Amino acid sequence: MQPSSVPRGKLIVAHPDRKAQRALQRIVGATQCPIEVVDNLNALVKLADEQTIAVVDASLAQAHPALCKTPARAWIAVPGEGIGPAEGPVVDALLAAGWNHVISHPMPILAEELLSTVQKLLRKDPYGLEKYMTWGAEVRCYTLEDARDRDDAVSSLARDVISVGLPDRVGSLVSVIADELLANALYIAPVDPAGARIRSAEPRDRSRSLSGRDVVTVRWATDARYLAIEVRDRWGSIDLPSIAPRLAAGGKQATASEGGMGMPLAYACCNQFVVGCAPGDLTEVIALLDVRYKPTELGRSASFHTFSGSFDAGGESS
Amino acid sequence: MTTQRLGRLEIEVTPGRLTLTGRIDDSSPLGELAPQIPAGDITIDTDGVTFVNSIGMREWMRLVRALRERGTVTFERVADVLITQMNLRPEFSGSQVTSFHAQYVCPSCGAEQAPLVDAVANAQALRQMQAPKLPCSECGTAMDLADFPERYLSLFRS
Repeated sequence: MQPSSVPRGKLIVAHPDRKAQRALQRIVGATQCPIEVVDNLNALVKLADEQTIAVVDASLAQAHPALCKTPARAWIAVPGEGIGPAEGPVVDALLAAGWNHVISHPMPILAEELLSTVQKLLRKDPYGLEKYMTWGAEVRCYTLEDARDRDDAVSSLARDVISVGLPDRVGSLVSVIADELLANALYIAPVDPAGARIRSAEPRDRSRSLSGRDVVTVRWATDARYLAIEVRDRWGSIDLPSIAPRLAAGGKQATASEGGMGMPLAYACCNQFVVGCAPGDLTEVIALLDVRYKPTELGRSASFHTFSGSFDAGGESS
Repeated sequence: MTTQRLGRLEIEVTPGRLTLTGRIDDSSPLGELAPQIPAGDITIDTDGVTFVNSIGMREWMRLVRALRERGTVTFERVADVLITQMNLRPEFSGSQVTSFHAQYVCPSCGAEQAPLVDAVANAQALRQMQAPKLPCSECGTAMDLADFPERYLSLFRS
């Protein structure tokens, strides 16, 4: 008998609570990668190397925010005490410190989100909203043909979302998220060879045909757990390291050329915010809304993830 | 009374009162509206506002700042889509709000609604970040606020 190939990767779970360690080990154990479990920072740092994906208790992470600068494949902060939701100030502090992966929500969302995140990293396959949906969920796509199609796309999306039985509240949130992400894709993403944002001052009511690198798509799907909205542009010009601190600041330090308050507003409207970038090829932003639970049963702040990696339109990513 | 349209936003101006209906977005330069409104105290009714994006919020803030320089601004029937964004902005803390819409959920039948909350009658509770229970329009059961109180009530905090 020959087992299937062994997954490659190195996972470390660092959490001071033994019960939480067990829960986290089970979640990331689904990848079938070897896992080391530790209960303190020193042991974690000793074991971590550039191939490591470290899953770290948010309280431990908050106490040592610079941990995320230590070489590793990824640092993922997860909720602390008893794996309840992470408190808003904890999430803000980690974003401000530049953590690329901060999970806010308790079980069972934690399990779904953590496993998807770890697998995206291990498989180097970071793009596509399908990774958050149950198999069988239909994905609908709108491709904008003109910059002025933004309003129609947003209206169609909100109408479609409500028509599948989701409440008006979700329709309102979807409208704001899609509008902001599309505005960024249309007006902030395009750059010249020197990196200057060439469309940022363009009047928003001006017609502009979208072809080639100007193509913008919005896709959405729901599986009655999440509603996912994905917006893609073909510029790949987003500055990934700057996003988390901007979200933590709530857009107060943003400038118009960076997209202003739009991204912080989209982040504030969703439960998970996922940004992927293949420099020069693709920026993809996925906003997930949990439609199972009352907002009060979730974390106060949305989870946040950034991924980078090459993008192949035919094979999606590599 | 005068009525004008800024993009997809309809604006009705009567003495001491401004009523907004529609979308506050890139097409509504609200900041330019202030000089056209008579100076003095004013009440702004946004019950009919259905959408606010980040550029719209910036314009809304410009309008409110300009009106505040000329008198007291009172917010009435603040739309759900607006009150949540106002709660994200510290400059609206302590604003005079007489009523606002908020998302509620019925624990019995699961209905989700956005009823009007009387901020004057419930002032004391709101200052303590407590949302009043309101009857479900479908089954009559007392509904709860469907979100974290700070998303709706931060600007009332004492």
